[in-house]
Amino acid sequence: MTGRVVAGLAARRAIRGGAAWGAVFALVVASTAVGFESAYGTVEARQQLVRTLGGNAGIQALFGVTRDISTVKGFTAWRCLGVLPLVGAIWALLHATRTLQGEEDSGRLELLLAGPTTRAGAGVAAMAGMAAGLVAMFAVTAAGVLAVTGTGGFGVTAGLYFAVALVAAPAMFLAVGSLTSQLATTRRQAAAMAGGVFGVAYAIRLVADSGSGLRWLRWASPLGWVESLRPLTGSRPLALVPIAGLTLGLSAAAIVVNGARDYGTGALPASDTGPLRAGLLESAWRFSARLTRPRAVGWAAAIGLMAAVVGLVAKSVGEAATESEGFAEIIQRLGGRSGGAEAYLGLSFTIVAALLAFQAAGHVAATREEEADGQLDNLLVRPLSRSRWLLGRVATAFAALAAVSVLAGLASWVTAASQDTGVGLGRLLSAGMNVLPPAVLVLALGTLAHAVAPRRAVALTYGLVAWSFLVELVGSLVNASHWLLDLSLFHHIAPVPAVDPRWDTAALYVVLAAAAGAISLVAFNRRDLVGA
Amino acid sequence: MCSLTEPAIRTAGLAKRFGGFDALHPLDLEVGREEVVGYLGPNGAGKTVTVRLLLGLLRPTAGRAEIFGIDAHRNTVEAHRRLAYVPGEASLWPSLTGAETLHLLGRVQGQVDEAYQRELVERFALDPSKKVRAYSKGNRQKLCLIAALSSRADLLLLDEPTSGLDPLMEQEFRRAIVEAKDAGQSVFLSSHILSEVEALCDRVAILRAGRLVEVGTLAELRHLSALTVQATLRDPPPDVTGMAGVTDVEVDGRRLRCHITGPVGPLLDALAPAGVLQLTSREPSLEELFLAHYGGGE
Repeated sequence: MTGRVVAGLAARRAIRGGAAWGAVFALVVASTAVGFESAYGTVEARQQLVRTLGGNAGIQALFGVTRDISTVKGFTAWRCLGVLPLVGAIWALLHATRTLQGEEDSGRLELLLAGPTTRAGAGVAAMAGMAAGLVAMFAVTAAGVLAVTGTGGFGVTAGLYFAVALVAAPAMFLAVGSLTSQLATTRRQAAAMAGGVFGVAYAIRLVADSGSGLRWLRWASPLGWVESLRPLTGSRPLALVPIAGLTLGLSAAAIVVNGARDYGTGALPASDTGPLRAGLLESAWRFSARLTRPRAVGWAAAIGLMAAVVGLVAKSVGEAATESEGFAEIIQRLGGRSGGAEAYLGLSFTIVAALLAFQAAGHVAATREEEADGQLDNLLVRPLSRSRWLLGRVATAFAALAAVSVLAGLASWVTAASQDTGVGLGRLLSAGMNVLPPAVLVLALGTLAHAVAPRRAVALTYGLVAWSFLVELVGSLVNASHWLLDLSLFHHIAPVPAVDPRWDTAALYVVLAAAAGAISLVAFNRRDLVGA
Repeated sequence: MCSLTEPAIRTAGLAKRFGGFDALHPLDLEVGREEVVGYLGPNGAGKTVTVRLLLGLLRPTAGRAEIFGIDAHRNTVEAHRRLAYVPGEASLWPSLTGAETLHLLGRVQGQVDEAYQRELVERFALDPSKKVRAYSKGNRQKLCLIAALSSRADLLLLDEPTSGLDPLMEQEFRRAIVEAKDAGQSVFLSSHILSEVEALCDRVAILRAGRLVEVGTLAELRHLSALTVQATLRDPPPDVTGMAGVTDVEVDGRRLRCHITGPVGPLLDALAPAGVLQLTSREPSLEELFLAHYGGGE
């Protein structure tokens, strides 16, 4: 009975999230298929597309290898499979750790466990609920895919297989998150571990697809398996074997470990005692640094690793790309002036911009959670003003973002220099700094949302980043109207180091951010503190 | 700005409305210096809302609150220099140890009696090397109590501070409050535990559905309420129903039980002819006062 309640609760949340992301998937698939027709209606246009993208190893490294992209279905499969599995995997690992470890962390699960169920039973039930969410995601995605079979020129079976490929990564990362939830003691640790697995999987896939003769590496990454499914372009269902094996294997492992450990503790050893580390407890501002540090270090590792990989392959990618005819065109369109490596780095840093914006949203969410969980009360009932506290949190987050952006430039320079890529430290540092303004604007707008509409702030902030990312993604291929593109935070950012930074835009972002920050300080002072 | 005679707490028409719901009707209340005031009310009466308004965590819909004459909303930081607060539900940072939590809260508070803090850690039998995550609810509560008490602030705002404490620790808490009072601190104690309020408080304020229904010393409150009189008589009891101030008359054979407000003389005169063998009279306990206020519903 209680098992059914646990499964029901988990299912309700998972179905809501799965269906919402399924709708995003469906929308992206449909708009890509329809947009392709209008954007590349003529034979010449399609041939040109093949020349530009087919020869662009940089884009292929980031989004996967192109195949038959002169056809609607080939283009749609490549474009959607390059991005949606990544988004879905991140949702899945956050969702799994929140459902399994988050409920336990907060003590809510205890209420249910007191009923007639075992902990192992409740664990299985919660995972069953998540599986229902995955089914919902598949159903909504499939509906979107099947709606464009006519435009896409593929059959129902091929469409369903495509939808399976799109939800394969979320399935695997629900399982990854389920297992890390059993290993770690807190939700944050569990999410960080699962995020690490994702980062490594993506980095391996990126290297494998960078055209450097390491193509076989693709079989070492779960995200590479998804690519190997090749939906709509000569299906290879064999790749479903490792996907299903990993999903079921990790789920089974999660169930076994869950049954073998104590409630409230992870399977990995964690200490319940510790020495007094007073350095970052001397003031509310220093304490901000202590609270921000774990998140900042995690993002620094992820973004630093990605920048290092990008720097490492930039030269070979650039050389391969310059040989293709269409590449000069791309560089020209971007306003670029120099060789292939710089163009590749410029494109890659737009992805860094998106990641850094997600980091900014994470800092906003952490600040809001401190209020929602009631921990903030302990500080604000003492002689500490609200403005001072909020300013401390925002300043620390800003410092973390700035440090990570510099690190990204530095990391890509170190690896690029090791390959004699010939892109200077100054240019790569400015590429790093160039992605800072949109992240700072996200931080400031998120803080404003926190000050004005606290209960909606987290959703609004992540929504802003996701929106900008999707607009960029969809808009760049369907000749979207300019005002739509203008609404993306990333659209105004120049692809440095392929071109020079746009300092005027950066200044505008910073001025907007400062204004939003100032309003936040005033507004936060005037409202009630509100719990979750 | 604050003269030496300003009361520890003064509210004037302090009110809070959430949407269409009046959580607190205009409240006028004073807590004097060196006074311990109990704040009673059933769940949802508005006790926590009052405390959070006094702390400036909620913004009042109307009225004002002062801490030692300092406006709690316009000059929150100054007001907070004079007070320390213990919440009913301690929500702390799970990754910090007890010692780290005390260190942080002490630094933000700005004043700590370190020797007293060490003593309190000892007395409340707390292991400060443990992480907050590993503490029970009671231990987290102790942590908040120690942080607040060791600040030696002029005013202690306590919102159901002993929830989760075992009886031994409850005793220790009471001793600490008596010490605070002796040291000249004021205490505002919102509580459910009537024996605690009865043992510690000079005055009691009773809240119902967001309205203050009673304020006074325990003696005053008792005076307003009925005495319980119980008599065992030699002869069958006379009919006393309808006498001025007499209510709830129960007769069981030769025994009579009733409540009386006002002078007792006429009742004794009426009973005397029946031959009084035994007579007890008792003031109502705080629990009876409380139930008298809430038992009848609206």
